[in-house]
Amino acid sequence: MQLFKNIEQSINSHIDRNAFFINGVAYTYKQFAETISKIRKGISSATKEDEKNIGVVANDDLETYAAIIALWLEGRAYVPLSPETPRQRNENVIKQAGLDTIIDSSANAVFPELKVIESKKLDAVPVDLNPKNVSDEELAYILFTSGTTGNPKGVPITRANVTGFIEAFEDFKLDITKEDRCLQMFELTFDLSVMSYLVPILKGACVYTIPKDQIKYSYIAELMEDQALTVALMVPSILHFLRPYFSEVNCPKMRYNLFCGEALPLDITNEWSQCLPNAKIMNVYGPTEDTIFCTFYHYNRNAGNKSHHGIMSIGKAMKETYTIIIDADKKVLPAGETGELCLGGIQLTPGYWKNEEKNKEAFFHIDYKGKPTRFYKTGDLCRSDEEGDILYLSRLDNQIKIQGFRVELSEIEFFCKEFLKKVNAIAVAFENKTGNTEIGLIFESAAFDTAELMKYLKTKMPAYMIPTQTLFEMTFPLNSNGKTDRNLLKKKLLEKI
Amino acid sequence: MMERNQIIDEIRKIVVSVVKHENFQMRDDLVAADVDGWDSLSHMMIITGIEEKFGFKFKLKDLNKLKNMGSLIEMVQTKTAM
Repeated sequence: MQLFKNIEQSINSHIDRNAFFINGVAYTYKQFAETISKIRKGISSATKEDEKNIGVVANDDLETYAAIIALWLEGRAYVPLSPETPRQRNENVIKQAGLDTIIDSSANAVFPELKVIESKKLDAVPVDLNPKNVSDEELAYILFTSGTTGNPKGVPITRANVTGFIEAFEDFKLDITKEDRCLQMFELTFDLSVMSYLVPILKGACVYTIPKDQIKYSYIAELMEDQALTVALMVPSILHFLRPYFSEVNCPKMRYNLFCGEALPLDITNEWSQCLPNAKIMNVYGPTEDTIFCTFYHYNRNAGNKSHHGIMSIGKAMKETYTIIIDADKKVLPAGETGELCLGGIQLTPGYWKNEEKNKEAFFHIDYKGKPTRFYKTGDLCRSDEEGDILYLSRLDNQIKIQGFRVELSEIEFFCKEFLKKVNAIAVAFENKTGNTEIGLIFESAAFDTAELMKYLKTKMPAYMIPTQTLFEMTFPLNSNGKTDRNLLKKKLLEKI
Repeated sequence: MMERNQIIDEIRKIVVSVVKHENFQMRDDLVAADVDGWDSLSHMMIITGIEEKFGFKFKLKDLNKLKNMGSLIEMVQTKTAM
């Protein structure tokens, strides 16, 4: 409950400061407060209080962010729907979440089959940011992630989960103030967006968004320079895009640069750190199930950093998050041993939305520090060191077997990158015509002769780990979350063979 | 110096080869969002294609100035004249 009081208080105490910078236009907290209030009125007029889950069309405008805060102050949960997502998938989400009402700032309703609150057409009302008194066990949002069977999985996050995240984030003591200019590069269907708008709002800082029709990486570079951004949470893919231009990037104003969502290579971070001479760089980690992120590692620009196969450590658990590493029998492993990372604590989702089967697979109880505690299996293979810093090794399901031998694709990638220096490469496993598994290598590069590389790899790895097929792509495609789209690359490789 | 029309034609060919269709017109006010499939990834491929074809490298500052097709054509003109 306190979190929502804090939102109210922060908006009120920064009423003349800029809250958002969207597509070249700045909006003050006063405008934000007025827009939130209008939408609150729209919600309470159009719905009954027991209609808990309300859709929000994820546009890039003030009304969309105001709709989220309005729903929270009304004690409701938001379910973001991207107008760019295929219609069938959105319909699936609407059905699963049981949505009857949607808040839409578009000129023409994107989902006319639902009751639409047209957020751009509401009448002005007196400002009211006083949050309704609602239990912290109620939901704040539901995000849908891709499921293995093509049916998106709903991850409900409670108000207590979000509060837990914010309190743990505060524990970093990052000193973000009303003077900060903060990047929000994520689609609202991706939970890294929640930190990117909520942390600035709680500090009276300004949120800088990326217009949907812009080229993301070059727009980010432009904002960083022209608007002198001071706080940025990014996915590492942005660094891969910007790498050819690092020598031109100089952002001395950047104070905090966080990375999440993908493995963060240490070499590229070392290069990037020169572009932001005054920034603290952090690698943070966490699945949607554990609310935004839940472990952190401070990059040290003056000394060695912990890494495994060139991938930076994901560090330690945030406040009130528990991390354990287990073996296949759910036995907790000591430091130094490799197993599946499991997460518990205040940020953990109550479980997948109406999906008992997946819940049984992914969650379990175990005695932790003398108390029965619920944990989530991340599917990430990890190891922690004696100091408790966690090293990410690979996805458990990226572990493949070649002729019965266990092979980590990330190990192949590591040796490729070590030899090729600046060329990005990914390894994929595929089934050949005889039904055996082979390994393909895909390079983010123009074609080159791979003979020397293969020779090198053969000096590093047993024969069964040597890739048999190669493909060159000038740039790696990203999926909608901004991560390298491994599945698409694999498909391209298969088409070539 | 390369003729403007010649530059336009070469850029058009590069865009077509990346987005794999010709459903756009090379107007000066054409922006990426007008062209189906012109996203961050294909943008990078188009930029690389232009760099290879015309034999120069864009600076990051140049990329940020590319607001539409007109500014892209103009930039290629300037760069190739240098």
